[in-house]
Amino acid sequence: MGSIPEAHKSTTVAETVSPSQAVSVEGLTPARVLRSVFREERFFLILSVFIGVFSGLAVVCFRFAIDWCRIYLLGTGAELSPWRLILAPTLAGLVIAVLAIHVFPAARGSGVNQTKAALYIYDGYIPFKTAIGKFIASSVAIGAGHSLGPEDPSLQIGATLASAIGRRMKLSRDRMRLLAPIGAAAGLAAAFNAPISAVLFVIEEVIGRWTAGILGSVVLSAVSSVVVMRWFLGSESLFRIPPVELRRPSELIAYAILGIIGGFASVAFSTGISALRPRCRNMPPWTQYFQPAVAGLLIGVIAMLGAPQVMGAGYEYMDEAMHGQFTWQFLAILAALKIIATLLSFVSGTPGGMFAPTLFVGAMLGAAVGGAEHALLPHFHYAAGTYALVGMGVLFAGFLRVPMTSVFMVLEVSQNYTIIVPVIVANTFAYVISRTLQPTPIFDLLSRQDGLDLPSMEEIREENILRVEDAMQPVSGPVLNAKDPLDSAILAFQGCAASVLMVRMPGHSWACIEREQAQTLLNEGKGAETLGTLLKECEIPYVHPDQPLDTVLRYVDRWPQVPVANRANLSKLDGMISQRDVLERYRDLGRE
Amino acid sequence: MTAQSNNLDLSQYLRREPAMLAILSFIAIVFFLVVTAISHLYFGQQDALAQRWSSRGLADLNSHHYDAAIPEYRAALLYSRDNFDYRLGLAQALMGTHRTAEAYAYFINLWARHPENGVVNVELARIAAERGDTAEALRYYHNAIYANWPAGQENQARETRFELVEYLLRINSKTQAQSELISLAAYVDDDATQQDRLGALFLRISDNEHAFAAFHRGLTANPRDVIALTGAGDAAYGMGRYALAVRYLQQAVDLNPHDYISNDRLRTARFVMEMDPFRPQIRVADRNRKVIEAFAAAGDRLKACPVAASYGVKAGAPGKPAQDLGAQWASLKSQITPGGLHRDPDLVDTAMNLVFTVERQASEWCGTPSDKDAALLLIAKLHEGS
Repeated sequence: MGSIPEAHKSTTVAETVSPSQAVSVEGLTPARVLRSVFREERFFLILSVFIGVFSGLAVVCFRFAIDWCRIYLLGTGAELSPWRLILAPTLAGLVIAVLAIHVFPAARGSGVNQTKAALYIYDGYIPFKTAIGKFIASSVAIGAGHSLGPEDPSLQIGATLASAIGRRMKLSRDRMRLLAPIGAAAGLAAAFNAPISAVLFVIEEVIGRWTAGILGSVVLSAVSSVVVMRWFLGSESLFRIPPVELRRPSELIAYAILGIIGGFASVAFSTGISALRPRCRNMPPWTQYFQPAVAGLLIGVIAMLGAPQVMGAGYEYMDEAMHGQFTWQFLAILAALKIIATLLSFVSGTPGGMFAPTLFVGAMLGAAVGGAEHALLPHFHYAAGTYALVGMGVLFAGFLRVPMTSVFMVLEVSQNYTIIVPVIVANTFAYVISRTLQPTPIFDLLSRQDGLDLPSMEEIREENILRVEDAMQPVSGPVLNAKDPLDSAILAFQGCAASVLMVRMPGHSWACIEREQAQTLLNEGKGAETLGTLLKECEIPYVHPDQPLDTVLRYVDRWPQVPVANRANLSKLDGMISQRDVLERYRDLGRE
Repeated sequence: MTAQSNNLDLSQYLRREPAMLAILSFIAIVFFLVVTAISHLYFGQQDALAQRWSSRGLADLNSHHYDAAIPEYRAALLYSRDNFDYRLGLAQALMGTHRTAEAYAYFINLWARHPENGVVNVELARIAAERGDTAEALRYYHNAIYANWPAGQENQARETRFELVEYLLRINSKTQAQSELISLAAYVDDDATQQDRLGALFLRISDNEHAFAAFHRGLTANPRDVIALTGAGDAAYGMGRYALAVRYLQQAVDLNPHDYISNDRLRTARFVMEMDPFRPQIRVADRNRKVIEAFAAAGDRLKACPVAASYGVKAGAPGKPAQDLGAQWASLKSQITPGGLHRDPDLVDTAMNLVFTVERQASEWCGTPSDKDAALLLIAKLHEGS
């Protein structure tokens, strides 16, 4: 491979260098250099590590707090007394309602949308009180048996800590905005013991874009928080993973069926939330004090009637399901009851997360579907653990609508790549069904119910990006060379109607000459001079057909036409583009 | 911006950022220490709770209160999720309550973690045996036999082999049982009880030689061991060594006169000794007397079992017509006298062959023989190899 031509380097710099960096080049001084390099880049990375450490420590404490609440509220045994089953979630609901209404109003909900709001609305600001509220209220709620999980609150705790640190450091607004997702990734990674999934989730659902700067910080914070968490809690996964295997390709049919059923279950789950949550919120204000308590009471009744597994996050029961310790019929019942219990807890405004319930429903549903399929078609190999793991991914894809995270989460948790094909097959079905039947993803739905218009990452992902090729025009008139005299340009203008002609300059760069400009130069007696000499200082940047159309907007106000060069042969033009072409294309898009 | 202001920015920056980093580091260290202290409290409590619940579970498991042990072990596992012993205890409690499917799920996972664990293999073998999956049962039994057994439980490997033999006998796989027993014999010490068990199992597969050897070893440890004496007598009886059988059975009966089976067997063995004309080193007169007695007993048997009497046998020589047993006996009767036998010693074999045939046919058609008839059958087996 030859080296990149100098002109190419200079003209394509817009593709890789951000505007802030471009500006910083002006007026270089040692102080500025140190500030821009150390403070803005490396210092931010160092800060990401600290955010990870603090988030990891906070999440460890959060885990302890949940367990202590469980021990003191529900008891230490595996079989709980009926009174405790009823009273603990009910009374905890009352306490949580008072806390959420009077002390920590921002502690309600899962925490994912609050973090997105911090990024997109509040310039990265999350009050520190939110973390305290989330910590206390979620610990009590989950410990008392409300059907919620610790991951989303951990995410918000991490984001809040990051925000607090950023404020102390007096970071710029751009950096402050990014701190919240960095902290979120750290909190989620520690809660889930899965750094890759946490990073992907934050990129996929919160930030919505991949850039090296963000990715580096997010990864650093996630990894450091997981290291801290493992220091205290060990490196074991949330559940013991049984051997995972796919014996025959024909078994993929069974996983596809699981994906279809999981897709419908996801729709039922999200439809339940979208329908019930506004109704609960529209009830008289005094009922807000009792909604979590009533939810707790109903969950207690479900537990007392024989399904205590639905209480709390339920990781120990996911573990048992994965190891085939329930019949498929009971697993199906547990999946249905968990959806109901989680709906009750969540729509009542009890603080807590949706991740663990989603995993629970997925694991139970997966193992149940696998068991049922095996009962109907005994030649299908049945490994409860494999189906449960795939089921988790299915609900992640169908309910949370994070398709990439769903695949990597299962891979990371199972530490087995054999499972990737069944996961992709099942998740695809679930995602497509969920998208078709419930067009708005759950997090977008919740934010809209809260009156926030946060960007929908799913919509952004699937937005049609306009490219240069969508607006460029064919080259009008001949393309001139730098060696051509001005007279030849005059002749060319006479032979065509174009107002601008492109000039191929040495070193794969381009310039253009306008009809009036050519005439003026001719009048100045420069007809014999070469275009290369005349246009030496007038080189213009070029773009490529596949580049986003907005890239052109940087140049079209300064040059009448911007050349669209072929990537394989920079001296060859694929077309030309002007400001008018760009604006017309955008206008057409608006009409579409 | 002037150079002076740039330098001011830099100095301000250098004063602020490192200081903030130092403060953050200090807070992180303090936070870390605090969480360490909290985690000690937390894990201390978790361990105590796990210990408390598992102790209760173990006590209930040992006293066969399986229903109580299950939630106790489950509670212990809440605080020590991966503890192998707690999981094993829970699985055993589930087995105790006959929740085999659930127990199997636990055992199979425990097996995945420690395939060399003897207890887990035995339990899985029992479940497989219960399900009728012989191949799996044998695999797990063999795993258990060669498994790692914890200190103090080394004899469990031997016990497992005993259990395996019992299982093989239940499914009527005597050849495999015999080979297992022969292997087992090498691991059983001179303890009388163990040798008695071994001998009894050998007897069940009719391996009288090994059975006798086992009982004999048991008797070396305890010469007045009734079980070993009886077993040795039975084994000797089975081998056709009736003198030896009489010796051991006599001692057994002396020690346990109410053992009617041994009494009967002793009596039969004595009859065999008394009636066997082919015993070595007996006088001719005695032999002839025994032949006459046997011939008479066969005649009585024919009378008592007319169906056998009318049973025809092939002619002894070409040209001779087939005769039924009654006719044969009647035609031969006049020759079976002391004089006749003295004159023609070949008549001994002829008479005894007829006696054996009669006894066999009669036992086939007419069922339980008398002591004498049983003795004659045994003599027939002894000398004809059938």
